[in-house]
Amino acid sequence: MSILVDKHTKVLIQGITGTQASFHVKRSMDYGTKVVAGVTPGKGGTFHLDVPVFNTVQEAVKETGANASVMYVPARFVKSAVKEAVEAELDLSVCIADGVPIKDMLEIKAMLHGSETRLIGPNTPGIITPGEARLGIFPENIHTPGRIGIVSRSSTLTYEAVLETNRAGLGQSTVIGLGDDMIVGTAFEDILELFHKDTNTDAIVMIGQMGGTFEEAGAEFYKHLKHRKPVIGFVAGNAVPFGHKMGYAGDVITNGSITVQDKRDAMTKAGMTVVDSINNIHDELAKLGLAKA
Amino acid sequence: MNVHEYQAKKIISQYGIKIPKGQVAYTPLEAKNIARKISYRGPWMLKAQIQSGARNKGKFIEKSAGRKGGIREVKHLSDVYVEADKMLGATLVTPQTGPKGKLVSRIYVEEFSIVKKIFYTGLVIDRMNAAITLLIADIKNREISEMAAHSPELILRLNLDLLTGASQEQIHQVLDYLELGEKSVQSLEQFINGLHQAFVDCDATMLEVNPAGVNAKGDIIALDAKLSIDDNALFRHKDFLPLQDEYETEDRELKANKNGFQYSSFDGSIGCIVNGDGIALAAMDLIREKGEGTACFLNVKGGVDKDKIASGIKIIMTNPRVEGILINVLGGFLRCNLLAEGIVAAASEVGLNVPLVVRFEGTNKDEAKEILLHSKLPLIIADSMEDSVDKLLAAMEAAD
Repeated sequence: MSILVDKHTKVLIQGITGTQASFHVKRSMDYGTKVVAGVTPGKGGTFHLDVPVFNTVQEAVKETGANASVMYVPARFVKSAVKEAVEAELDLSVCIADGVPIKDMLEIKAMLHGSETRLIGPNTPGIITPGEARLGIFPENIHTPGRIGIVSRSSTLTYEAVLETNRAGLGQSTVIGLGDDMIVGTAFEDILELFHKDTNTDAIVMIGQMGGTFEEAGAEFYKHLKHRKPVIGFVAGNAVPFGHKMGYAGDVITNGSITVQDKRDAMTKAGMTVVDSINNIHDELAKLGLAKA
Repeated sequence: MNVHEYQAKKIISQYGIKIPKGQVAYTPLEAKNIARKISYRGPWMLKAQIQSGARNKGKFIEKSAGRKGGIREVKHLSDVYVEADKMLGATLVTPQTGPKGKLVSRIYVEEFSIVKKIFYTGLVIDRMNAAITLLIADIKNREISEMAAHSPELILRLNLDLLTGASQEQIHQVLDYLELGEKSVQSLEQFINGLHQAFVDCDATMLEVNPAGVNAKGDIIALDAKLSIDDNALFRHKDFLPLQDEYETEDRELKANKNGFQYSSFDGSIGCIVNGDGIALAAMDLIREKGEGTACFLNVKGGVDKDKIASGIKIIMTNPRVEGILINVLGGFLRCNLLAEGIVAAASEVGLNVPLVVRFEGTNKDEAKEILLHSKLPLIIADSMEDSVDKLLAAMEAAD
């Protein structure tokens, strides 16, 4: 009852021995996530959190059959971590770090293109299928297994959306943070497509925010779907004024300054229900008349 | 991080881009001397060095600066001094600065370039396609801002290959679009691929030449330059750090001031939160002694409002240079438990991606520790100032 990850997903942790990693990996394991391996160069052959540690992703995959990874490596090492994940042909990698240089992301996107690997993030809380697997840093105790898919660019608003589904008496099939960076591995349309294919997702909550045209691209994809599941949308950042800027290139690339209202309009036109306040999501969910979790 | 026009021009000139002769001046006398040095005859251009577009359309707040904008053409040497004197120390407001404007503390004195045609060039990250995009606009008598808003379809956009830049075919596309003759091919190629290489090498997020000019020989000259560098990549460009103009960039300081805190930034990697000047200096000394440097410190003084403290802490947590946070507080008036609540609120809002060591002493210290322990945040608690620095350095090393 999920997309991308479930209780069978075999997870390896890139950078498992760090303080942050240890803290979150332990929580994920306690949650039931099947963590099968860790990778920390130079620490191969040891055990950490009772999990075998390898020097490379390739080795870890060969020995344990891992098919997904969570990276807890610092921003400047993300590029080489993704390279390893792609070369080992992992299905999924989740990158938590923020502050990955944009040029590195350009190279990372080129690596991912045509590869077997889907990257979630960077700068994301990760992905969680309630009751089954937690890949990332979600506060796991707020989640309820259910049939609402959540996809969001903002971390904290992901948590808000989860609470809103709970409030409506519903639960979540899978919750995904796309990441709050300028360039990220996975887009709204990718996740919307997966949620539409998932027989255990009845409706979707989509949370956008100012910057870029990610929401517009998601809306455009949704508009052309034959059988559309209900999408409740919200876009954050309306109260934020445009700061002073330098030059015009930014405006040219997006065809003028894109406001939060532009994004809301694009989503509404595509057939999504867009709410003004994130705390209105539960009302709209309740209106769908879905079976309670 | 943005750099000034004169700095950006110097950088791109190292990539074979032609720029007019010029030099930066901080005083009217310097301006006059530079003008004489670069050309024995006018006119000269005096250009206010603030990080904003539309400087020529800007207006100075001070009447003494005269009615003209931030870019002035001066014909006589004696007027170079007069005009520079008017502009320096005055505040320029442009459509891009916001109403407060920006203080002009330096001007760029440049030789006047005679060109037959001008056009707009920008390199920017296309975040949707994850590519570097070249934007070229034949602006003729229009403004690029108007073209961007009303007729963006007239602007040429080409995605460049990250490794090789523009292809021969793309160069010819630009040549045809701008209606330039064959004699400009070589210069145009050098111009576009020089800019592309500079963009890649500098980890730029935006590089704009607005305008570029074409002279009688068909050569392309960068008449202006704007460059923004990715803050997240500054760790591999330590040489750029001195180019930073604190007046232009330190909005963290302004945010801190609003809450009655004091914020100062340096060039190290540790962010400190303290509650007094003495403890700040002591912590910085200790960090230096142990071989690290301070990125910034925030003095929350006797701040008692939990939300204010949280916003102050966020200022530190979101500083891209900070690789570890040290909170060192001797609570007197400041109640440690409020600071603890502030830390928890800030960390859960912006996330905690670097090691954080807390050392509390004084009022409500035990309650504060209790709050931090309950928060389940990955904090490290230390017993003394020295202990806190040691623990932080160890945690930062482990995180690397």
